[in-house]
Amino acid sequence: MSYIILPDVVHYACTCGILKPISKLYFCRHCLELRCGFCVCHEADSHYCDKCAENLPSSEARLKKNRCGNCFDCPSCHQQLSTRAATVGPKNPDDPKAAPRKVFYLLCLLCRWSSRDVGIPDQAAVSGGWPERENIYAHRLQEIQDMYKAIVLSDKQQKLDKDKKKQRRYMSFTDRTGITASMLRKRIGWPDVPNPLLKAKPTELNNKAIAKEEVEEFPEDLLTSPVNLSLATTMEQRLVQPEWQPTTIDKLFPIHKHLSVKRSQRCRSCEHNVSKPEYNPNSIKFKIQLFAYYHIPEVRIITVEPLRAGKVSELLLKFSNPTQHQTSITLFPYKVDDVIACEDNRTEVISQSSEEKGSGSQPSSITHTSLTRQPSITIKPRPIKTRVVADVVVPNASFVLPPRDDAAEYDDSGDAHNIQNDPKIVVWRKSNKAVIKLQVTPNSDLNIGDEVTTAFTIQHIYINTITTVENKEPQKCEHKVKVFLTLGNLVGGS
Amino acid sequence: MPIYEGIGTITDKLVVVMDIGAAYTKLGFSGEFAPRCIIKSEVLCKESGIMRNIRDYKDKEDLYDLLVDFVHVLYFKYALLSPKDRPVVVVESLLCPTIFRETLAKVLFCHYKVPVLLVVPSHLVCLATLAIDTALVLDIGFSEAIAIPVCHGVPVIHAWQALPLASQAVHDNLRTALATHNTGVTLSDWNLEDVKVRCCFVTPQKRSIEFQKSTPNLTPCPEVKYPLQGSNSIIIPGKVRETMFELFFEEDNDHQCLSTMILDAILKVNVDLRLQLAENIFLVGGTVMTPGFKARLKEELYQQLNNERYSKLKIKTFKFHSPPCKDNYTAWLGGAIYGCTELLSMKGLSRETYLKENRLPDWANMKDNLRTL
Amino acid sequence: MTSENNINVMPGAIVCEESKLDGDITIGSHCIIHPAAIISAEAGPIILGDFCLVEEQAKIIHRLRPEQTNNETTPVLIIGSHNVFEIGCTVEAAKIGSNNVFESKCFVSNKVNVTNGCIIGAGCKLIEEQTLKNNTIVYGSKCFQREGLDRPVTQTAQMDTLSKMLPNYHHIRRPMKKDYLN
Repeated sequence: MSYIILPDVVHYACTCGILKPISKLYFCRHCLELRCGFCVCHEADSHYCDKCAENLPSSEARLKKNRCGNCFDCPSCHQQLSTRAATVGPKNPDDPKAAPRKVFYLLCLLCRWSSRDVGIPDQAAVSGGWPERENIYAHRLQEIQDMYKAIVLSDKQQKLDKDKKKQRRYMSFTDRTGITASMLRKRIGWPDVPNPLLKAKPTELNNKAIAKEEVEEFPEDLLTSPVNLSLATTMEQRLVQPEWQPTTIDKLFPIHKHLSVKRSQRCRSCEHNVSKPEYNPNSIKFKIQLFAYYHIPEVRIITVEPLRAGKVSELLLKFSNPTQHQTSITLFPYKVDDVIACEDNRTEVISQSSEEKGSGSQPSSITHTSLTRQPSITIKPRPIKTRVVADVVVPNASFVLPPRDDAAEYDDSGDAHNIQNDPKIVVWRKSNKAVIKLQVTPNSDLNIGDEVTTAFTIQHIYINTITTVENKEPQKCEHKVKVFLTLGNLVGGS
Repeated sequence: MPIYEGIGTITDKLVVVMDIGAAYTKLGFSGEFAPRCIIKSEVLCKESGIMRNIRDYKDKEDLYDLLVDFVHVLYFKYALLSPKDRPVVVVESLLCPTIFRETLAKVLFCHYKVPVLLVVPSHLVCLATLAIDTALVLDIGFSEAIAIPVCHGVPVIHAWQALPLASQAVHDNLRTALATHNTGVTLSDWNLEDVKVRCCFVTPQKRSIEFQKSTPNLTPCPEVKYPLQGSNSIIIPGKVRETMFELFFEEDNDHQCLSTMILDAILKVNVDLRLQLAENIFLVGGTVMTPGFKARLKEELYQQLNNERYSKLKIKTFKFHSPPCKDNYTAWLGGAIYGCTELLSMKGLSRETYLKENRLPDWANMKDNLRTL
Repeated sequence: MTSENNINVMPGAIVCEESKLDGDITIGSHCIIHPAAIISAEAGPIILGDFCLVEEQAKIIHRLRPEQTNNETTPVLIIGSHNVFEIGCTVEAAKIGSNNVFESKCFVSNKVNVTNGCIIGAGCKLIEEQTLKNNTIVYGSKCFQREGLDRPVTQTAQMDTLSKMLPNYHHIRRPMKKDYLN
């Protein structure tokens, strides 16, 4: 798409009030609203290593601390390390039959750091059994952690006991039915099953750290020995290994490559996915892709006459219909206050179908997950801050855009659609595209060089093909979207 | 409250622990002994295309947008999970601005739908790494140094001391010093930090006194030729390397510096606890890791005892703790230890409560202090 | 400076005719000079050691520093053996040892002395006066320098392939006769 490099001159107002180019918007087919990366709910879908493109189940990824077991990053420049083979002499050189052995080491192709630099022995297998390092404080910290767990747990237990004593006066539901085993045990006077962590009494005293009078001495050699900058590590090199934070380069060790994650996007109000990638890391396809680009008519600026304050300029816009259904487009002038006007303008049929959503018409997977989901809060849409400084005269009539037909691109025979054009509005037309002529007048109080932005609302007929239990037929509805055009800077003269 | 409270459910819980500092953010999971990543607290601004530190916000809305983008990076680039499944522990300074903590809570609860949030004060949780409950904690981070005594597990907030003596002050100092020695060269923030980290150190007190004389009778440490992009290089004189951190120990107009901060904080605490605090000094924060810093601070503390102001303290010895981790993520580690206990379910703020109350509990808010009054 | 070209090609070297060689240049044996490589001995003779590989668009220029121009003696740029000049690099270094790699689009000015086993990374610009220590590696957009453990491995397989392939598709400059050398 040309949008990646071109300046964004045509913006659509998302339902949340943020202006974005159409390529960055989603269109939820269930609520018939525009959504953007800000107002959808992102979810982590599948973990993969972007070097070896291996898919890891999330439990395994968690176990490996979100790192790939086989791939490494360079500790010096953070690029990927590649495994290199080298041949060394056989183990016992006297044996004439012994073939030379192959050994492997890791090498960075950017900064030429290699695992030999820090004295890691070469490995006999490609995948290596590269030595892993342990946190030297792990044992001590585990002790402390267990201790705190035990303390907090005994605290909690005390609180619970206190609460229970208070509750004695009332007959609780569990008392009447006598459900839990723990309740039963209490009843017959047996001691409650102690929590395994409670068994060990918090051994605070032995565990306390002891402060010392001595601190790290000043390294005297700093005063005399010259600094070799290439031996001291940079901040980035230190922080990429938080546990060790090496200060000299001879302590840099290869880092397991961090995994990446595929994300799916979910509409916040109806909880349907608007985008879901395929699990396979090699695939760039989507299972669900409700991009606005496939549903909303696209507007492009063809030309605009030089803009002068208070003078009328001609503006040519190209509209194209990306859907498989014919649509009709009506333009309305932009009003600042009609924030969620489209909400009310929906046809009867639509509001009915949206009511049905709650009544279990969805696939079982969705209803199942929604059980655990908490009620979503609707965030108020933000007011649009972009100032509109030019008026557009919108035509009263609407115009029709035929459905998209990929084959029509190669068809020179002319348009099959017999559409009566209003020559005052439509200047040019081909397959699903039409060029519209509009009059734009920048405000008279603008200065030369000011950026001119104009806006209008388009209403288009959207055919919703999602079928519900009651409505098997595709439904027609009108959808409105605000479009902002950055037309360029004001020029002077007459 | 779950019916089964076996060991399984405790270890299975994966709690995100984050410590969003002024310069660096530490992110990891509870029950682990080091953060998964330490990254710069900055995010790419989509409008201008430059990296913006999340503390350089214009207003509340701007901060909200910055935090939304930043937390997105934290979750989907580093933590790799969906935010709405996991409880979060946020480690923050007791002196954190209200606008920042409230906005962060709003982002986490409203935008990312985090189920439970536990906010822990950094000075208190640091002590969890040592398994002690009384110490004087001095946190020297990027923008300021904050000393707060913690007595029997309670931070004594009225004794707090804070001065803008931290990394940023060193960076500014270094920028001016290098500009006078190398004219026409402007150093980026990255270069300044790099020079500080790779070349500078804290010199012992006796050398520092000598440097202050008009004709110092000593040989400065060797100068360093620091290359800039291969096309240019600057000379970092030995004196600059040694004296960049001096501002920590020079008393300002109010006679305050790092060593007086510690002693003033001790002074404000009950007499019975003073000696105990002096023998339990705990230094945290990235700046503490500078070579020679701890040795110099100790010298300075003993020096200050001769001062009339502090002689009544009757302190004979100062003792320092060394944490079982690197100094720059001690507070995070404390948060991680707290995060794996049941404290999360007992004290954590759930999303429902937040939506009802629409605010975070705060020590400065009288509403949360009703019980103690 | 030099109006006539005096090119000496040692036996075994493969020098494509399309390469631009200006001035007094001696090319060592088993060197490979690609078409469109530029070697310009502006300030004085260049002697290229054995087993050097000069790829397309690589420029080796012997350019004098301003303070040297008044000297009576013309300095000779001696380039050691086993050097690789990758595509699009510009090397004006005053001294070049052996076993160096100049990666694509790097630039080395005439104030730089390159010793042995150095790697100048792709796109790196070295302008300031300096002497690179043995096995120095320059890399990245910020031109970080680090010291390697060993000199880079020689590209023998690549050189072998090129010496077989290039004569099939390009006109090759005739090396000097052996008896002429003696």
